[in-house]
Order: sequence, then C-alpha cells, then structure tokens
Amino acid sequence: MKNNDESEITLPIISSLFDDAEHRILSPLSCLKEFDNHWILEFDLPLVSKKDIRITFDENTINVEAKLKEKYSEEKLGNVTKFEYFKKSILLSGKIDNKKIIAKFQKGRLEIKIPRQATGQLVKIT
Amino acid sequence: MILINKCHYKHITFQIHFWKSGFFLIRSCTYNNYLKIVKQNTKEKTLLVGFPSNGLVGIFSISYLIHNLKMKQIGEIEIPDLPSALFVEEGKIISPIRAYNKNNLFVIISDAPFNQHLAKKFASAVHEFCKKNTIKKIIIVSGMETINQKKEDLKIYGLITHPILDNILYSNQIPKFLSGSIFGTDAAIISVFRKTNIPVLVLYAECHPFFPDPEASIIAISTLAKILNVKIDTQDIKNKIDKLRIQYRDLMEETMRTLQQQEPKTRAPQIYR
Repeated sequence: MKNNDESEITLPIISSLFDDAEHRILSPLSCLKEFDNHWILEFDLPLVSKKDIRITFDENTINVEAKLKEKYSEEKLGNVTKFEYFKKSILLSGKIDNKKIIAKFQKGRLEIKIPRQATGQLVKIT
Repeated sequence: MILINKCHYKHITFQIHFWKSGFFLIRSCTYNNYLKIVKQNTKEKTLLVGFPSNGLVGIFSISYLIHNLKMKQIGEIEIPDLPSALFVEEGKIISPIRAYNKNNLFVIISDAPFNQHLAKKFASAVHEFCKKNTIKKIIIVSGMETINQKKEDLKIYGLITHPILDNILYSNQIPKFLSGSIFGTDAAIISVFRKTNIPVLVLYAECHPFFPDPEASIIAISTLAKILNVKIDTQDIKNKIDKLRIQYRDLMEETMRTLQQQEPKTRAPQIYR
C-alpha cells in the first residue's frame, strides 16, 4: 500500500543516531520523500509541543531543533542521562526554493514540504 | 444444519449455518456457494511470532502481550550465523531470540532484525519449534506502510496461508490483505509454512514504516486479544507511547538498515499488477 505517485522515493535517513549527552540533545529519526519538484521531510518528535520547534534553513540544508515537554532519562551502564532537546540537520540534494516551505506538526511528527528550486537551462528543439 | 445468522461482509451477504458440532458453513448468497469453516478452537496450541519490522509493531505488540499475560520464558532460539549479541537487563543475560509459554499459547520474539539469509534460518528455527511443540497455528504481528494520514482510523489486515484460518478473519472482522509485496522475515516465514500443514495468519497493522509506532501496535494488541479470547488492558502502552518512540529509535534504525539490504529492486511483473 504505497502512494501511487511514481516520482516518489521514500527513504529513512540512516545516519547512526548520536545523542549528545553532554548538551542533553537527542537525535530524532527522520525520513525523506523525494519528488520531482519538492521534498517531504519528516521528523519523529515525541514529547514535543508545536510552539517549542524551531526550523531554519539555508541554501540546501534544513535544521530542526525542539525542546522536550519533559526531560527524557536514559540509563546506560548505571549512568543516567537526562535529555532536553532534539536537534538534527539534513542536507538535501538540491537548492531549496525558500518562499514556499510549509511545515505541519501532528501527533509528534513534523512534516516539512520543501519546494526544490528549478535549475537548468531550457534546450531548444530544432 | 441451522441458520444462525445472516450478515454482510464486503458487499457479499453471508448466511452462517451451524453444521453438527465442530464447524460452520458460510453460504455466500451472492455466489450461492458454501465455504467450510472449521470452528475456532481456542484450546489448540498457538504460536505468536514477533520481530523487528515496519514501525516495530510486532515487537511492541508481542512484548506487551508477554508482559500482560505474565508468560514464562521457556527457552532461547539459536540461529547459526546470527552475530553474537546478548542483552543484559538488571544483571540478567538475555538472548535476542526467546520463547515464552502460558497454557496453550507460545511466543517467539526476536529483538534482532534479520537480513535475508538470517530470515530463512529464523523461519526454519520457528518450523522446528512448531514440530517439537505440536503447534497448530501461527500468528505473526507486523506493520505495513499506511497511505492513511489520519491516524485516528488505523486499520489492520490479515493474510493467511491456509483457508482454514478464514474463520479467524471473518469472525474478528479483519479485512484481508489483498495486494502488495512482502519481503523480509514475514516473507521467509510465509514461504516455509505455506508448504506445511501449519497455517499462518499475518496481522499487518497500518503504521509509519520508518518510525517506531507503538500507537499502531495498540490495534494489533486489541485484535490479538479478540482472536485469543483474552482480556488485555492497553492503558499501560498508551501511557508510554512517547517514551517508547524515543527509546526504540536505535532498533528502528537498525531494522531499516537491515530491511533496505533485502528490499527487492524490481517491481512485480506487469501481469500481476
């Protein structure tokens, strides 16, 4: 049961999650759907409120930061680490059209629709 | 033969007839033919299988069931070539693949995702376990990618290897999984058991395929409870949804890495689409 749009490619972004215990930052899971003229980037952000999410971008990178509603504790080898934030940057394979980015947040999942900047020159057929 | 009910399912009207003791006959009024359905026997030995797959639905559902029904660990399953890995919990060494039991209910759960090679070995190990314990049917819980964006209305579908399990789908109002492709550990188990006399029912809960989805597993737990005729309170998992999503990020990522290695690169032949 997949979307019928033939141009869609969905891939989880597998980057080995490295949580930054020192700065209390968790690395969220994310996945990218690539279409002909846009991307849909999803982040799994449980324990987060919409108002505490900050999305920034530059030419071809999207950065997401979010503060957790409550501290998340993890115990490894007897050490308890308390995390307070999610943070991740995703490098896209093309330039972002910065005027039309749309984001929505529902049930702890952030979905960002990012239009791709049209590139290339038209070739005239003779 | 006594007509005991008349109902509609998928635009077809059925008449259910009770035939002596032991099985039902379901008559499709539209097609005017009979389908022999053996009465569900809740006392026969049933094996539940859970392993990492889409949304980790199988892991969440089966481990919750083990915990909720207070099942006892009865052994460990060893698979040749499985990379050496053990978990330590409160000083106790735990194998990644374990077997549990309570009354006529058996469980095999794996915390390790399988590549194509290991999936076949796991399926063979499950088959050996079934022969040894005279298991009569298997229920696998897994996840499938949803196109349904409204999470309030997540569905669960059933795929069966033998028609004898049709009655489980029918009596629990589980729609049949009608088309799509299956790969990974579920495919390996189905391939092995469809050639045997042990039927398999795979429950596919709609979920987010790449993120841990404990919410999707709630519908799987409720469906399993109905099939097994046991009471399971899902409040505990509902309370922990957010934390489970954070806690299981690493396993989800490891699972996706493993599954991507075995996803078929080609589409189904045109004739079958």
